[in-house]
Amino acid sequence: MSLLEIADLRGGYGEVDILNGVSLTLEAGEIVTVAGTNGAGKSTLAKAIVGLLPVVRGVLNFEGQGILGLPPELRMARGIGYVPQVANVFPSLSIVENLQVVGGVANQKARMGELLDAFPALAQRRRARAGSLSGGERQQLAFARALMASPRLMVLDEPTAALSPKMVADAFERIRALPRFGVSVLVVEQRARQSLAVSDRGYILDGGKVAMSGAASALLSDDRAASLYLGRHAGR
Amino acid sequence: MSNFPQLIANGLVQGLFIAMAALAITLAFSIARFPNAATGDVMTAGAYTGLATQSATGSLILAGIVAIFTGAAISLAADRLVFRKLAGRAVVASLVASIGVAFVIRAVLGVTFGLSQLVYDIPLTRAKLYWGVRLTPLDLQVAGAVALALALVFGILHLTPIGRQMRAVADDRDLARVSGVRPERVMLALWMISGGVAGLAGMMLGIKTVVEPELGWSMLLPAFTAAILGGIGSPGGAVAAGLLLGVVQEMSTPFVGFNYKLAIAFAALLGVLLWRPSGLFGKREGVR
Repeated sequence: MSLLEIADLRGGYGEVDILNGVSLTLEAGEIVTVAGTNGAGKSTLAKAIVGLLPVVRGVLNFEGQGILGLPPELRMARGIGYVPQVANVFPSLSIVENLQVVGGVANQKARMGELLDAFPALAQRRRARAGSLSGGERQQLAFARALMASPRLMVLDEPTAALSPKMVADAFERIRALPRFGVSVLVVEQRARQSLAVSDRGYILDGGKVAMSGAASALLSDDRAASLYLGRHAGR
Repeated sequence: MSNFPQLIANGLVQGLFIAMAALAITLAFSIARFPNAATGDVMTAGAYTGLATQSATGSLILAGIVAIFTGAAISLAADRLVFRKLAGRAVVASLVASIGVAFVIRAVLGVTFGLSQLVYDIPLTRAKLYWGVRLTPLDLQVAGAVALALALVFGILHLTPIGRQMRAVADDRDLARVSGVRPERVMLALWMISGGVAGLAGMMLGIKTVVEPELGWSMLLPAFTAAILGGIGSPGGAVAAGLLLGVVQEMSTPFVGFNYKLAIAFAALLGVLLWRPSGLFGKREGVR
């Protein structure tokens, strides 16, 4: 049984579907990249998984259970964490409050201590308002917030979108380290090459469906994938 | 020559009522995302039910509790019956619906309590002089009660889990939901707090002035002004702007007279918004 199983997923924000039959799986312990051109439906897929897409049809199973009818807060309670693209922290709340606000955490104080140890930059400024943090610090807080409830799956929507080029490599290292927290990762990313480099497998979306899929190393060395979807920006 | 310290003191007392109403409005706006025009009439309901309780029992404390519960109950009912059904629609739909709710509340109060002015049975007390400012013990008691209520609300918002969740929803509703915050619990807390604050504000205003069907409605414009002036969605800003507005209104009376003091308040609002469109304490919106 896959941790996440998606079959023939369709949907969007209104009458027009953006997802046109996406099928993918994610196994426990994996990091999987979902890449694709602008408008391919990557972020829409992330929203569909966490319950923020208004119109969705198809199969969406998490740990063998259908979750399509569940609201976002119950999907989170089932074990799905989410880091949105840009607005990923509560700006008027302090760092500590951003962590405290997460619902359903058994031993909140101990868990917060673990995460502040794991993200020392946050521990130093624990009373600072999240709105005053730099892009890199915000992202660390977003990761810590999503990890608070010890999810089994983290969905990351363009985690490097709001970062300076200097911070991008750090962000991918952070993603690579996530399975150490017992988390599997689905990362939707524009910087496909760098993301695949830290992933086990990858899917490339085009026009709202899967155009290519396979082991990350195979996709990285595939000429068609490189010329059509991944670009020639290795090392950037 | 006018006694400006006296005007400032009067303005602060008046400003506390505006602050409470503005706080109720800004809380609803930041979480339910619409300007609730029924806030004034929820205040009126609190004033009447508080008066009825005080008449029946002689207890002002009990009257305050009943006023708070009345405001909370009416607001919860309005949410269940009207506002919730309009969630996700245009803001103007909820605004117009709240005006309708306001008229319904006022009509029910008119039928129940009549249209004549009523007063709380409060013993008359002699004003005392404090550093050149004349204040009655009632002024101080009402101001103290209002200040205590405001402190309590801010305590709830900043020191309790549900308060943090309310602030999180105000910041970003979707992010709050994917963080496990249950919106129905937050909405329940919102309407209980917002309605309770409005109900108590109405009772306090009724004690200070007279109880009549227009009591809360007449407070609505200054309260909206304070909510906007403070930066819509900012509870601290609403309270600060309410106090400021009360003082500006009172300070203007020697120059423009009692009848035009509201116009001065609006001139101040326009001036501030031209200088700082997001209000005194509001978040500056930017384009990424």
